[in-house]
Amino acid sequence: MNGVLNLSSSPHIRDKWTTPFIMRMVALSLMPATIVGILVHGWQAFGIVALAVVAAVASEWVFNKVCHKPDTIWDGSAVVTGLLLGLSLGPKTPLYLPVIGSVFAIVVCKGCFGGLGKNFINPALAARCFLLISFANAMTIKPSLDAVASATPVGALKAYEQIDITKMFLGTADGVIGSSILALLVGGLLLWSLDIIHGQICFSVLIGFTLLIGLFGGEGFEPRFLLAHLCGGGVVMGAFFMATDYVTSPVSRLGQFIYGCLIGVLGGIFRLWGNTADSFSYAIIIGNVCTPLIDTYIVQKPLAYRKIGKTRPVKREPFRIPKPVIALTIIALIAGVALSGVFSMTKETIEKQEVFKQSEAYRDVCPEAKSFEFDEKAQEILGDEGAAVGDATINACYVGKDADGNNVGYALSISSKGFGGQIVMALGLTPEGKITGINFTEISETAGLGMKATEPAFKDQFAGKSGTLTLVKGAAESESEISAITGASVTSGAVISAVNAGLEFYDTVLKGGN
Amino acid sequence: MKNTFHGGVHPEGRKELSREARLRLFDPQGEMVFPLQQHIGKPAKAIVKKGDDVLVGQKIAEADGFVSAHIYSSCSGKVKAIEKRRVLGGGMADCIVIDNDGAFTPAADYSKRDKEANLSPSKILQRVQDAGIVGLGGAGFPTHVKLAPKDPEAIKYVIANGAECEPYLTCNDQLMRTQAPAIVEGLELVLRLFPYAEGVICIEDNKPEAIKAMKLAAQGKQKISVHGMITKYPQGGERSLIQAVTGVDFPISKLPADVGCIVQNVGTLYAVQRAVLYREPLFSQCFTVTGEAVAEPGNFFVRVGTSYAELLAACGGIKEGKEAVKALAGGPMMGIAMGSLDVPIQKQNNGLTLLAEDPVVAAEKLMTACLRCGRCTTVCPVGLMPQLMAEAAIAGNLERYEKKLYGLECIQCGSCTVACPAKRPLMQVFKHAKAEIQEQKKKEGGAGK
Repeated sequence: MNGVLNLSSSPHIRDKWTTPFIMRMVALSLMPATIVGILVHGWQAFGIVALAVVAAVASEWVFNKVCHKPDTIWDGSAVVTGLLLGLSLGPKTPLYLPVIGSVFAIVVCKGCFGGLGKNFINPALAARCFLLISFANAMTIKPSLDAVASATPVGALKAYEQIDITKMFLGTADGVIGSSILALLVGGLLLWSLDIIHGQICFSVLIGFTLLIGLFGGEGFEPRFLLAHLCGGGVVMGAFFMATDYVTSPVSRLGQFIYGCLIGVLGGIFRLWGNTADSFSYAIIIGNVCTPLIDTYIVQKPLAYRKIGKTRPVKREPFRIPKPVIALTIIALIAGVALSGVFSMTKETIEKQEVFKQSEAYRDVCPEAKSFEFDEKAQEILGDEGAAVGDATINACYVGKDADGNNVGYALSISSKGFGGQIVMALGLTPEGKITGINFTEISETAGLGMKATEPAFKDQFAGKSGTLTLVKGAAESESEISAITGASVTSGAVISAVNAGLEFYDTVLKGGN
Repeated sequence: MKNTFHGGVHPEGRKELSREARLRLFDPQGEMVFPLQQHIGKPAKAIVKKGDDVLVGQKIAEADGFVSAHIYSSCSGKVKAIEKRRVLGGGMADCIVIDNDGAFTPAADYSKRDKEANLSPSKILQRVQDAGIVGLGGAGFPTHVKLAPKDPEAIKYVIANGAECEPYLTCNDQLMRTQAPAIVEGLELVLRLFPYAEGVICIEDNKPEAIKAMKLAAQGKQKISVHGMITKYPQGGERSLIQAVTGVDFPISKLPADVGCIVQNVGTLYAVQRAVLYREPLFSQCFTVTGEAVAEPGNFFVRVGTSYAELLAACGGIKEGKEAVKALAGGPMMGIAMGSLDVPIQKQNNGLTLLAEDPVVAAEKLMTACLRCGRCTTVCPVGLMPQLMAEAAIAGNLERYEKKLYGLECIQCGSCTVACPAKRPLMQVFKHAKAEIQEQKKKEGGAGK
């Protein structure tokens, strides 16, 4: 035994968890929201978050130096404060605001009260409220994600049906940088599954809020209505990242539950009867200042005093699903719902675009028409599948109407087999059966050859023609001849057969009708 | 059976260092030191004097009163002195020092099994008391006192504690693997004292071989069952085990017997079997020498009075390239840090852990302000709120500490201190607060007279 042995009181080992580890995990769990925010809102969002973090760390360092306190920036709490503040600001916020906010958070809210663990309100939240009050104009987010929250309550309640929840969920709507509910949930549930945040706080906040909104919101427990409220106005961010701040929340389980419900209910009240978009921040701050009171009176008794004399039935420990599994399942579910939401959203858009393209094409080939209607007689024959005429297929037939509702022509959608795939074209006809023009809605022929079909030199030959058309090489000589595209006989043939099919359809079905 | 208790922590086990080392008897050389107090209660009174010849198993000190225990010599030789010697914990205490002749001549034949098959309960109890057996789990409470509750018929469970939740230590594991039938026999003997009791052997599930061996030994015994418990500290704490087995929690003012339980360490049960059936008094117990700084960690039947330093030397001393920065009597959770290894092993000691790195020093560098994260509350097996307790104690609000927060219920297991991410010295604060409150009470009591 050469050296001197260390002496200390037991226990002589320590857990791997440290303060910086916890702070790193919180920062990590905020990363999905940060990344989504930056991707959606661009470089200014990055600048805001980065400045908030840097300013928070720097002001902590300076404050400690000035006050001759030990250096504490390595504990990581300043990074988390800056990150939370940055994420709770709008993406168009002027860049000086995150700096002012971070300095306020660290120096006034934390440093002046004794540093880490001593602040009585969440510094990031306090700074946000400070900015909201002091720089109201610069802090306003327009157009607001918080349509629900920012409009007058009555207006908001009516407006919920127009709010795009999917957008709010993904964070692509306008709003604060950290407004992607999906990303926040991923981070929040990660923290919960690692037992870093207390489930009784975040879930009681959400439950309290939902109950209040459901009971007094006037719409009952309509899922869309509740979701619109839950996804807007920082409720999720508040529940998972702000209200769960260790320092400003109670330590007993019951106290945490009371605290969470208090915040949820207050948030709901402010939301329904208040008139600001940021009511949830204030609800959490009120919860924060109630914490010392809760901690003084609500303490848990030792197990032995909770049920004196009672013997619990002796039984096996019930099987519990591990928390990470629950969290992963929830995340997977949410992601699934979100993805299907995206799909249905984009699917609709694609369909809309298709319809739009078609109607453009119809307007083009039948310029006199102000609106189009299905030709019922023709549609009966065509059905849903369309009708084959020769090599081509008539897909649909519309009647063009002018402002007074008179028949000014027909627009047909015809498809035929080209060289590179299906060609879909619109054919415009006068009521007398003369071609007013052709246009393509779908064509993918060889560039420089078949694609020449879309050029006026070829297309415009059709105007005014009627009857049955024939294709010739070289220049067209008679009324019924169309000059083929050099080197693209298949494409030319496909177009001719489609046009002829349309003309034949006119002759057999439309002629003399209506 | 819930197989576990409320709260608790998962410290690194590190049992692989010595897990497979077979228990072997260690015969020390040189002088042996027997402190007169190796148990809770009144110190024993020496009944030998300087110059007396003693044999192995000879009584050298007699219990002073009921809550006390006899002390037996573990070697043969001459009494060298009865004087103050440095003992575990750093203080000086009265000790009998015997010059070991190295022959280990026994006073009686301890290999002969007693023929009396049907011992009466009072006789069993008498033999336990005569053998000077104390709780070998660490506390050292005289076993005959524990086995004599007011109402033996009210005892429903005799719990054999083979949890060995303390990190590093493996001697109970080895004892169960090699002496399972003897332990079960010891438990059966204890069960004879309590007509309505059932024997429950609890072993943490990180010792599968021990569970297997004990299950084999307990096979066919109607009143005895073996249970694998979830590996979690302090599973081997008396209260944790009772909570796991019966679901009952009880305040610190009550004893396990008040809720119908008797908890005995497997080492104690082994000693009971030796004492009752072989009339062998307690002069040796199983013991682990381990830690990253030990050359050859091992498990021993060690003789009471052996010097820690000598036993360490038998393990090859300090591992080459390592430096022992901390020596612990016991494991790292409950063990006592030693300033010197030249102190004797006492009855209730069960391990020596030599650490090559001191996590406490590393933790002190990482200490931050309390985050109020609540991990201490989550892990407290008693259900206390260590965070608020520390706040109250540091603020000097001892009334809140005691009355509102039940601070005196703390069993000082250290779970909160291990779990604390801010590395706050919580348990040290609680020890201090407890001492202060007791001091205050003493003063008030004195003023009242």
